[in-house]
Amino acid sequence: MKTIITSSDRSFLNISELRKYGGLFKYLSLRDVFVRYKQTWLGFGWSVIRPLINIVIFGGLSYLVDRSQNFKERFVMVSAGIVFWQLLSTTLNDVSNSLTSNANILTKVYFPKLILPLSNILVCVIDFLIAFALYLLVFFWFKGLPPWQIIFLPLVIFYGLVFCFSIGLIIATASVKYRDVKFILPFLIQILFYASPVFLSSTFVLGLNIPAWLKMLYQLNPLVFILNAFKYCFFGQFESFDPLYIGLSFVITLLVLFFAIRYFLNFEKSFADYI
Amino acid sequence: MSDTIIKVENVSKKYEIFHQKKERSDSLVGALTGGIKSIFDRGSVQKSKEDFWALKDINFEIKKGDRVGVIGRNGAGKSTLLKILSRIVKPTTGRIEFEGRMASLLEVGTGFHGDLSGRENIYLNGSILGMTKREIDARFDEIVDFAEVEKFLDTPVKKYSSGMYVRLAFAVAANLEPDILVVDEVLAVGDAQFQRKCIGKMEDVSNKEGRTILFVSHNMGAVQNLCNKGLFLQNGRSINYGNISEVIKEYLEVGNTISSSVFTFESQANYGKSKAYFSRIEFRDEAGNLCSDFPVGENIHIHMQFICSSKMEGTVLGFGILSSTELPIVTTWTNPENFKEGLNEVVFTFDKIQLVPGIYKLAVGISRGNESVDFNSNLVFFNISDILKMPEAARLVNTSSGVLLNQFPYKIIS
Repeated sequence: MKTIITSSDRSFLNISELRKYGGLFKYLSLRDVFVRYKQTWLGFGWSVIRPLINIVIFGGLSYLVDRSQNFKERFVMVSAGIVFWQLLSTTLNDVSNSLTSNANILTKVYFPKLILPLSNILVCVIDFLIAFALYLLVFFWFKGLPPWQIIFLPLVIFYGLVFCFSIGLIIATASVKYRDVKFILPFLIQILFYASPVFLSSTFVLGLNIPAWLKMLYQLNPLVFILNAFKYCFFGQFESFDPLYIGLSFVITLLVLFFAIRYFLNFEKSFADYI
Repeated sequence: MSDTIIKVENVSKKYEIFHQKKERSDSLVGALTGGIKSIFDRGSVQKSKEDFWALKDINFEIKKGDRVGVIGRNGAGKSTLLKILSRIVKPTTGRIEFEGRMASLLEVGTGFHGDLSGRENIYLNGSILGMTKREIDARFDEIVDFAEVEKFLDTPVKKYSSGMYVRLAFAVAANLEPDILVVDEVLAVGDAQFQRKCIGKMEDVSNKEGRTILFVSHNMGAVQNLCNKGLFLQNGRSINYGNISEVIKEYLEVGNTISSSVFTFESQANYGKSKAYFSRIEFRDEAGNLCSDFPVGENIHIHMQFICSSKMEGTVLGFGILSSTELPIVTTWTNPENFKEGLNEVVFTFDKIQLVPGIYKLAVGISRGNESVDFNSNLVFFNISDILKMPEAARLVNTSSGVLLNQFPYKIIS
């Protein structure tokens, strides 16, 4: 096997090489899983407690702001949003930090760098599955069996992961050179929290007395569709279903994904020079 | 030739250095305003940036099974070259081709995680270095054996002693099976016995399995033992590439005759980390002037400055002199002394030095009881020159005459 090193900037998405590094992907993923709650007394209990605290705070708040449903209904609804949001936001956050937090490996060894952001997803998913299992029990307790729409759930989760991974990949690449991103990220996540139907339902937001362009912007956020779709799987009802915006959100997600990978590959070879 | 395994053509690497006035913008706003400013203010921005060629037009070919020692002073571009070869940074110009699998060992324990156990770290580190799970499984016992950590396999490595940590890290790397192994100065860590073990391992690998090795070290003894070819870099340029002994000889001549008479230790890896550490060593002649080049028969005054972080009692300061081929010649110590907190200075006098002209190296150390507090054997050099003051007969010496210069008294008895 012959390898050629040149001064060209671009690298290409080399799937067969990525697969050759499957072992590295596995061990990096496992490392993150093993290390996440090391030296904590609660261990993986935290993957339940973190969303639980959010559920209590925002479930209560949401009921105060919007009383269109009774408390029980609202609690089950908001919990669904928050459990899923926890997955989306930790994925976004961890993927964004995946390059700078692994600088020591990046500057010492060659491997396809895409492995780093990818390997961060597993630990987020495991966190999510624990909280999600608990949510299923809660749902069953209050509402019984979920409707047939539940079969769409894996697709919705996958779509959400793709979108958050893409945004995270852009941020991760930018943060190699510009550490400002580290400071912007928490605000971005906070803004997305309010700009997506996590605890404020989209019916409520669209019913607010705000300028039309703001509502348009809100609907262009792919997370609005993603979170509503997640709730659809559990409640069988689609909130503010608008095929135009759903189509647009698909297009936006694809564009973001495409741009993220292009941007990443254009800079991949220079990471070690800047990090 | 078909047995060429690595071919390097015109490889250069440029870094941009930014001077104090206008720094490279590490923030978005900085980049934006910098961009705007540069439209109006082209002249001054250009002035603040300077191109630095860490490597310039490097060409060489390595044949299968060669063991190449890359030598040169600090900043010569050795590590940059290895980083380019191992595809961590890209060259600014040029092209490299190599055959087969390359593994690079620029640091021991890349990706080790303190919270993971020894066992887990073996798999993690192995996979980072490019091994598959099956290869690690097959080598697992050998790795554990080499590292001598059987008992602690399930202990988090953050609880390991630094020696155990390094041993484990090297053991993983040493059991790699690439076609080409690239090794940076990783042996600088660990004690002498461990270093020998590692070099032995690399020799084994290379001799028995015909593996190609690129090895960077400041330890000329190690390079000479391990390598059959040498690449001498200076200021990013390749000065010589060929037979290892010739390259080392040239390195010692070119690299060190211009050596200075003052050696400071700030840049050393372990500087300031021990209870007492060397800060500066100066060579002075009989008149007290700084000097790096001593005529045979003169007195050498070696001024050693070291810093104690607290009062040190019963402490011994010592040094040894080694020839350019790492042959130990003499060692001397102080008696156990008490040194004050802060800067101490001790001067040793080497009376009427009788060594064959050439370059000599100083290994300096501080110890207390059985504990080595600070040690450095790779930094301090001095020259013996000027053959004129030697007795007539001694002018016949050359490097094969040994290192001691002496004319024994003799009588013609019949």
